[in-house]
Amino acid sequence: MNAPSHLNAEPILDARDVSKSVRGPEGQLDILRGVSLAVREGESFAIVGASGSGKTTLLGLLAGLDTPSAGSVRLDGHALEALDEEARADVRRRLVGFVFQSFHLLPALRAEENVMLPLELEGRSDARERARAALDAVGLTPRRRHYPAQLSGGEQQRVAIARAFVHGPRLLFADEPTGNLDQRTGQHVADLLFALNRDRQTTLVLVTHDPKLAARCTRQVELQQGSVLRTGAERAVSA
Amino acid sequence: MRLLRLSLRTLRREWHLPELRTLGASLVLAVVALGVVATLATRIERGMLASAAELIGGDAGLSAPQRLPDHYAEAARRHDLAISRSAVFPSVAFAHGQSQLLDVQASDGAYPLRGTLQLRDARGDRAGRAPAAGQVYLDHRALVALGLKLGERVQLGGRDLVIASELLRQPDGGELFALAPRAMMSIADAEQAGLLSVGSRARHQLLVAGDAGDVRRWREEAAAAPLPQGAQPISPEQAQERMRSSFDRASAFLRLTALLSALLAGVAIALAAQRYARRKTNEVALLRALGTPRRQVLGLLLGTLVALALPAVALGAGLALLLAQGAWLLASQLFSSIPTPMPLLPVGAAAAMGTAVLLGFALPPLARLGEVPPVAVFRASMARRVRRFDALYLLPATVALALIWSQSGSLQLAGILAVSLAGVAALAALLAAALLWLARRVAPGAHPALRLGLAALARRRGMSLLQATALSLGLVALLLLAIVAPALLDGWRRELPADTPNWFVLNLQDDQRVDFSRAVAGLGARELNMLPLAVGKLTAINGRPIDALQFQDERAKDWADRQLRISWAGALPPSNKVVAGRWAGERPAEAEVSVDTMWRDMFALKLGDTLHFDIGEGGLDARVGSVRQVDWRSFRVNFFLLLDPAHAAQLPHTWIASFYLPRGHADALARLARDYANLSLIDVDALLDQIRAIVDRVGNAVRWVLGFSLLAGALVLAAALAASAAERRHEAALLRTLGARRGQLRLAAACEFALLGLVAGLTAALGAGGAGWWLARTVFRIEGFVPPVLPLLGAALAAAVVVMLLGLAGTRRVVRTPPMQLLRAS
Ligand SMILES: Nc1ncnc2c1ncn2[C@@H]1O[C@H](COP(=O)(O)OP(=O)(O)O)[C@@H](O)[C@H]1O
Ligand SMILES: [Mg+2]
Repeated sequence: MNAPSHLNAEPILDARDVSKSVRGPEGQLDILRGVSLAVREGESFAIVGASGSGKTTLLGLLAGLDTPSAGSVRLDGHALEALDEEARADVRRRLVGFVFQSFHLLPALRAEENVMLPLELEGRSDARERARAALDAVGLTPRRRHYPAQLSGGEQQRVAIARAFVHGPRLLFADEPTGNLDQRTGQHVADLLFALNRDRQTTLVLVTHDPKLAARCTRQVELQQGSVLRTGAERAVSA
Repeated sequence: MRLLRLSLRTLRREWHLPELRTLGASLVLAVVALGVVATLATRIERGMLASAAELIGGDAGLSAPQRLPDHYAEAARRHDLAISRSAVFPSVAFAHGQSQLLDVQASDGAYPLRGTLQLRDARGDRAGRAPAAGQVYLDHRALVALGLKLGERVQLGGRDLVIASELLRQPDGGELFALAPRAMMSIADAEQAGLLSVGSRARHQLLVAGDAGDVRRWREEAAAAPLPQGAQPISPEQAQERMRSSFDRASAFLRLTALLSALLAGVAIALAAQRYARRKTNEVALLRALGTPRRQVLGLLLGTLVALALPAVALGAGLALLLAQGAWLLASQLFSSIPTPMPLLPVGAAAAMGTAVLLGFALPPLARLGEVPPVAVFRASMARRVRRFDALYLLPATVALALIWSQSGSLQLAGILAVSLAGVAALAALLAAALLWLARRVAPGAHPALRLGLAALARRRGMSLLQATALSLGLVALLLLAIVAPALLDGWRRELPADTPNWFVLNLQDDQRVDFSRAVAGLGARELNMLPLAVGKLTAINGRPIDALQFQDERAKDWADRQLRISWAGALPPSNKVVAGRWAGERPAEAEVSVDTMWRDMFALKLGDTLHFDIGEGGLDARVGSVRQVDWRSFRVNFFLLLDPAHAAQLPHTWIASFYLPRGHADALARLARDYANLSLIDVDALLDQIRAIVDRVGNAVRWVLGFSLLAGALVLAAALAASAAERRHEAALLRTLGARRGQLRLAAACEFALLGLVAGLTAALGAGGAGWWLARTVFRIEGFVPPVLPLLGAALAAAVVVMLLGLAGTRRVVRTPPMQLLRAS
């Protein structure tokens, strides 16, 4: 493999002074206050912090699921806050994959059909073949015709990972991907994510409160009550 | 008490839940729909009864062959009722040396209490009261027969009376065949002339009118003690057979309408309750895990339901009264002259039925929550154990059946509806299941939007089946009401075609037939039809004198005393159907008689029995060769007894002719009648007008009630679509997160709902067409009713479009679901 290309390149994800506040029952509530960070292509980047510190909110802003109250987020050169929801959806479809803590598979679709969804949204005709390849990559070929209810938590999350990378996104966002899994299964799922990051140069942005998982990332940022507490030092990618 | 407080608190806390609001709204809607429809129906029925009162000249009364005892009138006065006395009798009038037998009605000045007496005099046409002493009104035929003009004098009952007005129309119970010309005089004159003395042939009547409750009490009081010899009650309900069948059918329509609204509401409530139950599953699992006994959990659920139901029912009842009043004010020109108070009972009944619907349809899903095991807190899937059969689900079916039965008042109607609705539900489920199966087959090659739409339907398999069924049921109701009911009404109206015979001529002699036919044809008459008419009495059955026989049926004695009209024909007349035996034809070996079913029942006749008739000087023995069912609603001349022509032709007889004469030729006909002094001419245009007016009134009324049910139905359809909203939101959020465009979601939703609508629409069109055909045949007995196929199919397509638009409107917010929700949802 060549020397990591990301080291000098422009960041694929660049957040500047991002704030988010919502109107709560007791007036305005500041969830994020002036968060800045940059993620370069091919990196694995962890967002850590206590529960309620604003990790999920930040992830949503970085992935263009929501817009910041102040500040800006650039994803592969697109200024997300300048785009409307429809345009952000386009960016997500082309560039982004998601893995959630609670999997979010559609219960009435078979594993394979769940994986096909992003491809169908693009109107691709080779959806089924590519979905099978993706399922093969996560080791679930024998289970492709099963429904989510017939799969274990770890298997469901692997289906979700297959769905997340089947359309070849540049970035993969994962919100506590191992939070609902036991340690060994979680380890296996994490291995898969890092393998993708490594083998396909898919940038990985990971929210977790598991220090061990965070430690496997090249960099991490820790949030505390909506502000960046510290940014971890860059670490060489270990194989 | 503690439970009540807890329930109230739960309700207050959960009031923001859309399911609970839907549940409340559905209940309000159910009560409003049931209440408005029932109130209007009752009121319209009362209005129609009141217009029947116009036909008899009062709200109720008694008639008897002698003067009615005073206590009836006293009772009426005690109940604050208006009273009018009359007597009817035949009497011969003399003028200009001519004489004419007249049907005379002698009335007091209060007559008529209801309806109008239409008179014509020098001042023109007007409504009036019975004549003052010394005056008389004669109808056109009497004037013509006696060659008299207004203002001249006529001798009646030995008194010299001034002809004050021409009698145009009177409330006469819709009596079609008044044989003689008519006159009306003052009852005081008649008494003084001795026309009403004991032994006279007069029939006395007492009519009363007033507040509905007072009238009912008077009727009950009168019915409590035995009536005097030969006395009979007079009521609007029995005003006239033909009218009554109109009312019966009208109220069947109305009841049907109310019934379908109730079932629609039940479907909405079931859907909302199911959503609520699903939402509560986790909470119940938690409560159970924390040690709350099952009974208490169920008690709390039931308490919450009741806490919700009470205000909802009250609100619904109030709204129903308001709406019914408003609609009545708008529609009241239908029954302009008739005051009908707002009935309160129907709204009370609607409230009770709404509660029954709520409990019947909401309890099953909620009661199953009692079975949620405590371990479900750990594994949500444990809560969704599906049982193959659950006796609880018989509850809504039972409630529905009970409602159908109570509302239709007829087991037959109830049965037809229940079977139709069940059939529709099964058909919808089947079609939807087939569609889902198909979805899996064609999906891979289909357009992405269609594919997503199909996938969405398939994803919610259970919900899709339920929705298709609910939509189908709702649409069946709507189509039945919107298309089939008017078509039925139309078929009914067509039974009185424009060229229905409007003149009858009695007493035509054998040698006058040809000339008379030619003469009336010259006036422009059409549809001329002549039948022989003999008058006789039934004197023996199977050789035993009729006086010696006992019959169970009370009417038999009366008919045995009467002069009967007997006719004969070689071919079975139209609107007659042989139900037993064989039609005799032109010349059977021995004399045969064909009897109407009522006669068979009345005299307990069997085929082969021999009837002996005294006719004129002679007599005739005839064997019962066939039994006929006669459609008495048709405006043809029909007879209970038909002999065969070969054996009857020698009997003394006259002819009865019927024909259609366009309006405006009556004067020419009257001139013609002078050349045939013996003829009685009967103009039924007035009566036909009355009947047509009633049919139109009823049609309008049904359309009014129908409008409300349509509204209720549309709202329930929307509620059914809301049932899957939460699931849709989750799905939309996921697809949005994966980068789906709004247009894609919208197109997918459009496909999904259009397909759903198509299934529902087709099922409903089939169901409504079938049910309509069945209803027409069995309940409304409309011959040759053909379900309006094209409108039904058009409506099915329109339904698909409407459901699609409704679905799109319903998913507008879903499509906008911020994708962030997915990260927040567990
Ligand atoms: N829409 C919202 N309305 C009110 N509070 C919110 C909303 N979204 C997030 N919060 C609050 O913001 C804080 C951060 O939430 P979140 O980003 O989910 O934290 P984390 O993922 O780190 O646990 C929490 O206290 C949460 O309750
Ligand atoms: Mg979080």
